[in-house]
Amino acid sequence: MYEEPYKWVEAVGNRRQYLDEQFKQGSPVVALAYETGIVLLTVSKGTPKLYEIYDRLALGGMGHPADLEKLRFSLLEMAHVEGFNRSPSDVTGSRMVKYGIAPLIKQAFEEVFKAPFIVKILLAELGQKSGKETFLSINYDGTFEEGGHSAVLAATKAIEQAMLKSLPDERRSLEQAVGAALRAWALGDRLQGRALEGEAGRGDEATAAPSSSDAESLYAHVRETVAEKSIECAVLDRSQAGASKYRALTPADLGRLLPRDIQSSIS
Amino acid sequence: MGMQGDFFQLLKAQGYQFGAAADGSHDPQVTTATTILAFKYRDGVLVAGDRRATAGNMVMYDRTDKVLEIDRHSVMAIAGVPATAYEMVRILEHSFKYYRRTQLQELSFEGKLRAVSKLLKENVAAALAGTGAVAPIFAGYDFEQESAKIYFYDILGAEFEGVEYAVSGSGSPTIRGILHYVNTWGDLPLSAMTEEQSAVQALRLLTSAAEFDSATGGVNREANLYPVVKLITAKGIKTLAEADLKHTFEASVSRQG
Repeated sequence: MYEEPYKWVEAVGNRRQYLDEQFKQGSPVVALAYETGIVLLTVSKGTPKLYEIYDRLALGGMGHPADLEKLRFSLLEMAHVEGFNRSPSDVTGSRMVKYGIAPLIKQAFEEVFKAPFIVKILLAELGQKSGKETFLSINYDGTFEEGGHSAVLAATKAIEQAMLKSLPDERRSLEQAVGAALRAWALGDRLQGRALEGEAGRGDEATAAPSSSDAESLYAHVRETVAEKSIECAVLDRSQAGASKYRALTPADLGRLLPRDIQSSIS
Repeated sequence: MGMQGDFFQLLKAQGYQFGAAADGSHDPQVTTATTILAFKYRDGVLVAGDRRATAGNMVMYDRTDKVLEIDRHSVMAIAGVPATAYEMVRILEHSFKYYRRTQLQELSFEGKLRAVSKLLKENVAAALAGTGAVAPIFAGYDFEQESAKIYFYDILGAEFEGVEYAVSGSGSPTIRGILHYVNTWGDLPLSAMTEEQSAVQALRLLTSAAEFDSATGGVNREANLYPVVKLITAKGIKTLAEADLKHTFEASVSRQG
């Protein structure tokens, strides 16, 4: 039935609708450059969503854990074989995405007889030189965007835009970056929640009133959420000794870095 | 799924070949590397190696680094054919990283030892042909046992634990006797020595090896060339700086003072 072109277009359209539905309750992901590297943050329940891919590459994901795992393994294989056969400096996020997983994701998305990957992926790369960070975000259809300061994943483009806008433009200390990332996460998560509630027809909730994005109400949202979930945070830290720059922050690290309003509710 | 997280298997699946025998019967002048040693001191393990690489009686290179960091807590010191040894180190380095990143946990110390043995076994044909023999020392911090450990290998992949110390390379017969002597009848057993005291021993031992083995580099003060000395503790690996080695050498090794 899909031989006819318009039916194929219709099938892809349906698929888009189906996939959009899958991310509505997902947890947003935030990645942001700070003074000596990149911080990644999300709130997860059980399965982790932030991973180390290579010496200077970190992954954040949203979607189905099994699909994320599949793509994580593809990235790990590609990165390590390339790093071994050529050199670690040839393993770049841009190459991994453009010639590696973006085509894979696109193909799965368009082959309407097969299951698509239910994932959105964010790759953060610490450049060799300070200030040369790369952020790549890949949508479920294989389209990707590249940025140099921050990137986020959320259920819709509009929510992603609102989150990006809330992030500071200049590099801050790790502590400040963690706070900013957490507020952006809370903003995204709250907008997603409202979009779900307001689905009956209250329109696009991403354009929330600015008053509702003040730090206090965002932290209140985090406090409500983290009761049954946990804040997951990792850094690619230039000052880390050795070739591998990735480090998952421990609860003790977070205890020191998180804003005071939150510390009490996670300890 | 069987061997999940196995980087070497992944490489082989992509057509990579390691340890193929080459005909060495016409006695080619293969580059080799020479004296390496490791011993347990008070806080962990010290691993050291001279800097010379030779081919027959020719000095190929005097700045070789034979003590190579594989990850944050393990080091491999190499004696034998550097071409094979460096390749082994590269495979191990990527294997441990790949395991940690895919399995989301560190490979156990025992698992790391197995990986070294496995590579040496894969390499037997080349080792016997004379073009790829490597006899390494592997040292690292074992978090399960909470102690730093030393293992040494023959060229066929047999694994032995160096309970107090281990040596390898052409200069090793000289210093093996000294290590035994110092450890048994010296003022302090090796395991009671501080970082500084053990650095003095390492420099003295390598200087002695260079005295009797032309293929060992020793210390070349004019060229400011000192052995590579690394210390492994629970905190990680520390490489002694050249300036510190120079100071130690002048204060406690050089007879001119």
